[in-house]
Amino acid sequence: MDDYFGKDYKKFLIVPAILAIILLFLVFVAPGVSSGIDLTGGNVIIVRTAHELNKEQIETVLNENFDLEELNVSTIASPTGYGAWIEYSKNPLSAQAEDLLSKAESTLDDDTTSIAFSNELIVLLGGEEKTFSNSKLALLDAQDALANYKEEFSLKLQNILVENLDLGTDVEFQKKEISKTLGEASFGGMAFIALIGFVLIVLVIFIAFRQVVPSAAIIGAMIFDILAGLGGMALLNIPLSLTTMPALLLLIGYSVDTDIMLTSRLLKERSGTPGERATVSMKTGLTMTGTTLAALLAMIIVSYFYQIEVIYYISAILLFGLVGDVVSTWLMNAPILLWFVERKKK
Amino acid sequence: MVNECSNITVVCREEEKMNTKFLKNWRILLLVISLLLAFGVILINTTHDETGYLGNTNIKLGLDFEGGTLLQIELQNEVSSEEITRIASIISQRIDPSGLKDYTVTPIGNQFIVLQMSETDPVELEKVETRIRQQGKFEANLNGEIVFTGDEIRKVLRGDNSFGVYKAGTNSFEWSLPFVLNEQATIRFTEKTFHKCSATSFSASGQPIYECEKTTFFLDKPEALIVTSEDQYAIDEAMLYNGDTFLNIPAQTDITQVIEDSRLDVIVYNGVFDENVLASALLKTNKAIVSSDLNNSVVLALQEKGFEVTKFNFDTQPWIWDVFNAQQIISLTEGITNEDVADISQAKQFSNLRISGRRENAQDASSSLNELAILLESGSLPTPVKSISKETISPSLGESFKSLVIMMGILAFIVVGAVVAIRYKNWRIAIPIFIIGGSEVILNLGFIVLTQRPLDLAAFAGLIAVIGTGVDSEIVITDEIMAKSKKVKESLLSRAKAALFIIMTSAFTMIAVMLPITMFARAYPGIDKLYGFAVVAMMGALIGVFITRPAFTKIIEMIVDKIEKKE
Repeated sequence: MDDYFGKDYKKFLIVPAILAIILLFLVFVAPGVSSGIDLTGGNVIIVRTAHELNKEQIETVLNENFDLEELNVSTIASPTGYGAWIEYSKNPLSAQAEDLLSKAESTLDDDTTSIAFSNELIVLLGGEEKTFSNSKLALLDAQDALANYKEEFSLKLQNILVENLDLGTDVEFQKKEISKTLGEASFGGMAFIALIGFVLIVLVIFIAFRQVVPSAAIIGAMIFDILAGLGGMALLNIPLSLTTMPALLLLIGYSVDTDIMLTSRLLKERSGTPGERATVSMKTGLTMTGTTLAALLAMIIVSYFYQIEVIYYISAILLFGLVGDVVSTWLMNAPILLWFVERKKK
Repeated sequence: MVNECSNITVVCREEEKMNTKFLKNWRILLLVISLLLAFGVILINTTHDETGYLGNTNIKLGLDFEGGTLLQIELQNEVSSEEITRIASIISQRIDPSGLKDYTVTPIGNQFIVLQMSETDPVELEKVETRIRQQGKFEANLNGEIVFTGDEIRKVLRGDNSFGVYKAGTNSFEWSLPFVLNEQATIRFTEKTFHKCSATSFSASGQPIYECEKTTFFLDKPEALIVTSEDQYAIDEAMLYNGDTFLNIPAQTDITQVIEDSRLDVIVYNGVFDENVLASALLKTNKAIVSSDLNNSVVLALQEKGFEVTKFNFDTQPWIWDVFNAQQIISLTEGITNEDVADISQAKQFSNLRISGRRENAQDASSSLNELAILLESGSLPTPVKSISKETISPSLGESFKSLVIMMGILAFIVVGAVVAIRYKNWRIAIPIFIIGGSEVILNLGFIVLTQRPLDLAAFAGLIAVIGTGVDSEIVITDEIMAKSKKVKESLLSRAKAALFIIMTSAFTMIAVMLPITMFARAYPGIDKLYGFAVVAMMGALIGVFITRPAFTKIIEMIVDKIEKKE
């Protein structure tokens, strides 16, 4: 039976150690992982057309006509057409109006003050001051004015893009508008379920193996894989969002599969030397990862060419994570376990 | 094979034995039965409308594939869970009073409500948004005059003793809904209802029996000139006269009464328009709603006069009832019409009113009560809306999406099969892996159909997880059984045991990650978007551990056994 690990297996640990440092740098220092608008709040407009789109041109057109905060444009070209992602946090006028709206809302019990705020908002957005019999009615009018303004604003933005970029009728728009508080609430929820999920996994692993070092190694490998996935997100500029979250969760599932298999074979079986058992496990493990990587490659290629962002994002993150998994399972977890088995013998 | 048999009889008998053993094994039988059930669930009885489903199956497609809009409504402040359920039902009542459209309204946590719909037209969306924010315009009218409106209702006394359903006799349940009017409306109510009952006969004990006039309730009645054809008018007249318990229309309802109460101009078109009627209607509004059976010359004639014309399609309800957005007809009772005093100056004023009715069973009575309570409250949301977040996916985008995602799924499947085939260099092992992988997809699709959840991108990602970990487990099982069989002569059972431990542990870690999502999906906004993903991934792990992987273990055991015997 083959033994690829030999006696110097401890040296293998250098590779994941160096990689971990690089990944930590990529994720937390530069370029870093950004948060998507569904976790921070903001606006996204996705344009799809058969005409070529130019990032600088879009930015110039938008900056000439609007005063958008944190404008971020990215374009993509594929055999099936062109696409652009236009992201901005908000436009100053609607920010100002939202501020007035919340003032009107918080002073609802004081009719005069609240009506004054509502009216200020209506005037700000180009309406005429009205007399209202109570603050609630004024607030409703103000909310309406703001909703109308937003709708008109996004239509105007679309029309200006169509006109200035000569897009004609062959264009599709997709819009997303997430309020800041909703984004924050989603982020909180996501952090919460991630925390509980992590605690539950640690429990399952410890109950299954009942030994500290092997269990800790599995969890360490899992963290490494997530870090690799995040590193991929940093490199490819994929934001952390509600659509990319499932990819990170999937990574946990895929990553522990190989680690559990390895641990179980090294600790529970008696045939051959530990090094030989690890080698046999590696053949199985690489087949497991290999099938998944092959499927992911197919998905990445199709989704990249046809601009299906969500699937492209998910498969790209999984790809990075699973390459990380090869390193973490066979160059980190395996040496740690071999070391552990050797020390136990002594 | 037949030739081989005639020569080597022993092997042939072995093979026959294997085949019967194969189907007798409970693990394999369970898989076959589950698969048949899943196929049944997915394919049988596809009587639904074809749009929104995947081909001719029962698989409902989600927003990502079909196009549509997701609105996330944030309330001003956190409210109790009963309150948010109530606000959610008020919102659905407002945007879809007939309950015919494909909207889903789900409360999330204590401050958010998620609204999903297939609508993507910005103009329609703006209307929906305005309706959510706006006060629903509720009117209770009598003899063509407003008696009270929604914003004049102080509140519905939900906590009051008289609110609820009571048994009133055999097969009779009375529901009762108390509410309070503001001062202005109280005065108007007393005035408008004064002496609106009249004694028509006397009971055996000499008490007068009254017959009272009826009020009609409207919600968001359009401000428009209504033009109906003579045919449509005749149909509506008959339908209203026959009544409809489901629509809250009592029998013998007079169409002229309903039209008078609507306070709108209604023209029954008989071939020509009266210029004077049109001119006076145009002074009030430039909108006109026309029954769809009238031809275009009518529409053109109205447009020439300056009307903005909408054609309104006939539904199952009386057309005019639908156009008016009429909701209920409620009779006054002599207790509140001051029959006992001669002059209005002596009339008692009632600010606390009570609407009641009778139904045959408690369930119907309670649904009538709730329907009306929501109607009266719909004037104003108990807690105002703070902001609405919006996400639209254009339907044509969804269309190309659908075929691409399916194509991608098939491609990924083929690639996985190829890798497995290359690794084992033995089709007898690669094919079962491929078939079991396919079975897991079908079983999970069957599960998705059973839960009546749509297949959206999240559920699709869940399927990817299922296939991925499924194939992983099958490789572990195969290697475990093959590796051991070569060296130690262990029983097949103990060979499978090690594999079982690995796949069980990995399935439970999958469940550990997904469980919190399914538990808290209704508690946090955003997390609900991951619900479909988590449920499918979790269910996939369970289906794998209990149905497909035991069957796969058995199949591989048999195959390895056979290969070894031949060797």
